Amino acid sequence: MTKFRRPGHGNVDVSKTLNFSFDGKSYQGVQGDTLASALLANGVHLMGRSFKYHRPRGVVGAGSEEPNALVAVDRGQGRITPNVRATSLELYDGLKANSQNRWPNLKTDIGAFNNTFSMFFPAGFYNKTFKWPASFWDKVYEPFIRNMAGLGPAPEHPDPDNYASTYGHCETLIVGAGPSGIAAALSAARNGGRVILCDENPELGGSLLSTPGVQIEGKFALDWLAKSLEKLRKTENVRVMSRTTAIGYFHDNFVALAERLTDHIPGVEIGPAREKLHRIRAGKVILAQGAIERPLVFNGNDRPGVMLASSAQTYLGKYGVAVGNEVAVFTSHDSAYEAAFNLSDSNIRIPAIVDIREDIRTDLKEQAEQRGIDLFLGSAVSKTKGKHRIKSIEVFYPNTGSKQMIGCDALIMSGGWTPSLHLWSHSKGGIKWDADLAAYIPDQANENCVSVGACNGDFGVAAALNAGTKAGGGRKKFNTNEFDFGTGISLDTLPNYIDTSKQKAFVDFQNDVTEKDIKLAVREGFKSIEHVKRYTTNGMATDQGKTSNLNALQIAAKAVDQPVEKVGLTTFRPPYTPTTFGAVAGYRNDQLFEVTRKTPIDPWAEAQKVVFEPVGIWRRAWYFPKKGEDMHQAVARECKATRESLGIFDASTLGKIEVVGPDAAKFMNLMYTNPWNALKTGSCRYGLMLREDGYIYDDGVVGRLAEDRFHVTTTTGGAPRVYRHMEDYLQTEFTELDVWLTSTTEQWAVIALNGPNARKLIEPFVEGIDLSRENFPHMAFREGKICGVPTRLFRVSFSGELGFEINIPAHYGRAVWEMLFEAGQQYDITPYGTETMHVLRAEKGFIIVGQDTDGTVTPFDAGMPWAVSKKKKDFVGKRSLARPDLVAEGRKQLVGLLTEDPNVVLEEGAQIVADPDQPIPMDMIGHVTSSYWSEALGRSIAMALVKDGVNLTDTDVYIPMPGQTHTARITAPVFYDPKGERLNVV
Amino acid sequence: MLLIHCPHCNEERPELEFAYAGEAHIVRPNEAEQAEMSDADWSKFMFIRDNIRGDHAERWWHAHGCNMFFNAIRNTVTDKFTMTYKVCQKRPTEHQIKVAKND
Amino acid sequence: MLFDQGIDIPEALSGDALNIALEPEKARFNVRVKSKDVAAFKKASGFKFPVKIGATAKTGTQLISKFGPDEWVISDDAKSREKIAKKLSKLAGQFVMSATDISHRNIAFNVSGRLANEAVNIGCPLDLSLKSFPVGKATRTIFENAPIQLYRSGEDTFQIECWRSFAPYMVDFWTAFSRDIA
Repeated sequence: MTKFRRPGHGNVDVSKTLNFSFDGKSYQGVQGDTLASALLANGVHLMGRSFKYHRPRGVVGAGSEEPNALVAVDRGQGRITPNVRATSLELYDGLKANSQNRWPNLKTDIGAFNNTFSMFFPAGFYNKTFKWPASFWDKVYEPFIRNMAGLGPAPEHPDPDNYASTYGHCETLIVGAGPSGIAAALSAARNGGRVILCDENPELGGSLLSTPGVQIEGKFALDWLAKSLEKLRKTENVRVMSRTTAIGYFHDNFVALAERLTDHIPGVEIGPAREKLHRIRAGKVILAQGAIERPLVFNGNDRPGVMLASSAQTYLGKYGVAVGNEVAVFTSHDSAYEAAFNLSDSNIRIPAIVDIREDIRTDLKEQAEQRGIDLFLGSAVSKTKGKHRIKSIEVFYPNTGSKQMIGCDALIMSGGWTPSLHLWSHSKGGIKWDADLAAYIPDQANENCVSVGACNGDFGVAAALNAGTKAGGGRKKFNTNEFDFGTGISLDTLPNYIDTSKQKAFVDFQNDVTEKDIKLAVREGFKSIEHVKRYTTNGMATDQGKTSNLNALQIAAKAVDQPVEKVGLTTFRPPYTPTTFGAVAGYRNDQLFEVTRKTPIDPWAEAQKVVFEPVGIWRRAWYFPKKGEDMHQAVARECKATRESLGIFDASTLGKIEVVGPDAAKFMNLMYTNPWNALKTGSCRYGLMLREDGYIYDDGVVGRLAEDRFHVTTTTGGAPRVYRHMEDYLQTEFTELDVWLTSTTEQWAVIALNGPNARKLIEPFVEGIDLSRENFPHMAFREGKICGVPTRLFRVSFSGELGFEINIPAHYGRAVWEMLFEAGQQYDITPYGTETMHVLRAEKGFIIVGQDTDGTVTPFDAGMPWAVSKKKKDFVGKRSLARPDLVAEGRKQLVGLLTEDPNVVLEEGAQIVADPDQPIPMDMIGHVTSSYWSEALGRSIAMALVKDGVNLTDTDVYIPMPGQTHTARITAPVFYDPKGERLNVV
Repeated sequence: MLLIHCPHCNEERPELEFAYAGEAHIVRPNEAEQAEMSDADWSKFMFIRDNIRGDHAERWWHAHGCNMFFNAIRNTVTDKFTMTYKVCQKRPTEHQIKVAKND
Repeated sequence: MLFDQGIDIPEALSGDALNIALEPEKARFNVRVKSKDVAAFKKASGFKFPVKIGATAKTGTQLISKFGPDEWVISDDAKSREKIAKKLSKLAGQFVMSATDISHRNIAFNVSGRLANEAVNIGCPLDLSLKSFPVGKATRTIFENAPIQLYRSGEDTFQIECWRSFAPYMVDFWTAFSRDIA
């Protein structure tokens, strides 16, 4: 049995010994311990160093509010978790934990020089110091800040663990399974609706676990608890979730619960989820989060061994651990007396209770006397001593100025209580100042939510049980035998004879913010509490100021000379406690992070060792390198083969929308710039779509299947937005039209065949379509069969060669592709990817929406006036094309560019200037939009948007690049076969 | 994540199924009106939108549901939906909004 | 075999607690009819078009789901595709309507077993209690990043359809889920 373990106390199993290591040293704890309770049982208080000054720090709390005892847990490669609160870390056999913010070790830390020079590190130090000279940023300031900043080690390897996530629903969600939460669950369960009761701890019971002596309805707390939990677990509509933290409360009672599944299991292997995020939609939320005891802000309050009174009570009551042998008490609230008496009754000596108040309840005085405890009323602790653990305190009596040293090995403190408003505030519930509690409590709810128990200011077990019962819909009143919770006072500054500037009175332990810092911030002009918070960083550490916010607020309020309620409270934001990225991502990691859409032909391409590229969320075949080929060689070969014989390309990702109804043509007339009335059934036409602002939005070939039916294609990336755009106009503007839209993108696989042998290849496979030049001309469209399956066959070309786009029902796509590919061997059929497709189209000057246009390009800018009907009175974008800016001179226009050096392939996005000798900043007249090596032309080609570009045809422009300026001549953007003769090869 | 009552499905559905679609009750001028509109008026129709603090009439699309566009009154301070209604319906009066709020 | 839905279901998804199976080839048609014509259309066609959005009508192998105010999807055995297409084409002469073949657009999964609800809820935010989502209800909704159609054919049985290219994402999701139910 370790030195500070108190057999007969606590809810731990002392028969099960667990071995663990902290900073490499081996210790023993027992089943049911946290790391903090196990270390305390071994007499270890020093558990970490502070963030800024690297001061030695001990454990302050006993739960998730802990600011100091942050450790890194090592579970193997990639499985190091930093900033774990030792107070919440369940002990398991073989646990390896390390302290943080120290080097080389916890007892001797180099960084502690910050402490020695702390007078130079006041609030805003970084903001004030690391400003100039600018040249110091890279070499001096940044490395220094990086070195000093951060809590704990960042993991160096990807997290190998798995995580899970789900949605859930319930009628009642109860957050916190202390007395109020359990009572709420018991009463809500009776209504039959689904109830979820969650608690962040492994053991449910909240404060009852710390005060096992309390009696409820004549039963000891733990017996009542066991019976109640059993009842809840047996109720079918109740789900009890331990190790589950409600991390955030969002709109309409949507609450995120992070459940820790495996961290407490020793040697757990990678496999089943480590944590699970439950996204719960609740009809009603009952918040029973409890309250957090407030530290007192006094000189030396951060010495290891100084902790909250309630924590000491928890360590004894829940874990059977004495926090010391000689435990002094410093308080401004009655509740600390219960802790003192509990400790005293377990044979822990209480050398002194120092109370700021001159007068206290008689029963407390009497009980202290009975136990032989010295009371120091109207006094304060003015100083603490001890290097890595408190050794003594100095008690100061301001009325006489007398001082007295008292020896101790722990000091427990209470500055009153802070109801936990975190989730209430996430839900945007209103708060009000309660002067008696000197704390904010919930006011008007913003959701269907109630706050019960200590987090609502209802202190004491009976009050909590009654409030919980009521919130769950019941009426029962509980009888308890408990210590009267009592009252306290709250002071912004405690009496001390030492000059404030010489004191080290910490408010925020984790971020090392002192009383001085807050006062300084106010002196320097920061009056808003939100500004004070950011300037001092109070409450901005991983604990979000759970123990410090209200102390900071009171100090700031006094400094600005305003009542606290006028100063307000800083905002609480999710997550309530630090949460792993894994839990937030849940299942959505790796390939589940985003959908990768694959075409029916994708598996064939994959088998060919194709290189894929992402296009939106599709993955598309980019190029098909043969052995030894690089991208350039592969693309050159694919281009050449397509122009000379036959290329095959998977165009399945093209968006497709079927537009059907008697008013289909009218609708098309409104959505596209082109005219559609005259388009004959069996023909197709290039369509250009604008937004209402007159800029190009999308384009694609549209085939007319029947008088009342169009097969519309869109760009790959544009498919969803074009569909939405069309639906929007149809449903909200052109409501009189009888026409409907159906997305058919995935109904059809599309195989594009391009090259002089395209017709020859498909001829033997096609049934019911006359493929002859005369009867199936360019831009015609037929329905029939290919390879025995139905097809919509388009004679179109995005390459300038004879081309077909074969639409077949998607589940036949791969088979048809494979049949054509095999038959195509006689023509050396060559599969090509998007890169070759882009080169071939650029050689022809065909635009890619989104590459050669950028949302500021009109059809006239793009050199496509032929696509805009002059006769139509209306189409989306028509009126805007007459906007003054759009008809002004000097707009950027799409042109071709030929570099002076044919071997130079310009960079896409490169800026273009008219005068290469102009000093910087130069006037940029445009930029390169597309640029490729053209195998067909044996030189590079490019397209560009250039100011007044058409008028500049045949003039030289310049493209300054690092080290070199390229010269290029502006040309028309059609580089290859400008007459289009190749479309009509026999 | 908000719950949004779709006036077509007549159900409250999770926000994830919906897409925001801008301010409501801005009617596209017909071809005759367009022809008569000054550049200034056209640019006002195109680009000028209210930025209301409080009850805002806006359009939503039940993209992953019934596929219908509809209108909503939503408070831009609290984010809360007060009411939703079909595109063909007029903007609710202040009184109607008040009544809906108290529901 | 020409027909290829391009997806395999891993063995881990064929268990008692959770069984996910690929549905065979189907005929599917998206049909729009003006509200005022629905009654006449039903009479002329014999199709049991349900009235409320979210409702379905099952007749033998044929399931008709109403997804939008004027939108229904007819799904049936693959072999009835031609027959339905002909019938719709004939109706199109009589009514102002739209019918589009979407047979190959979707992949359908049958999700059944004690954990079927959870297998849906890991990605879909809808409340699947029988009160909110009774047997026979069908809707379009979302499964994380994949738009889906969800149809409850039994207390513990769902049919989920998604566009073809989203199917691997669904299967990957359930495979990840299967780690946690072993």
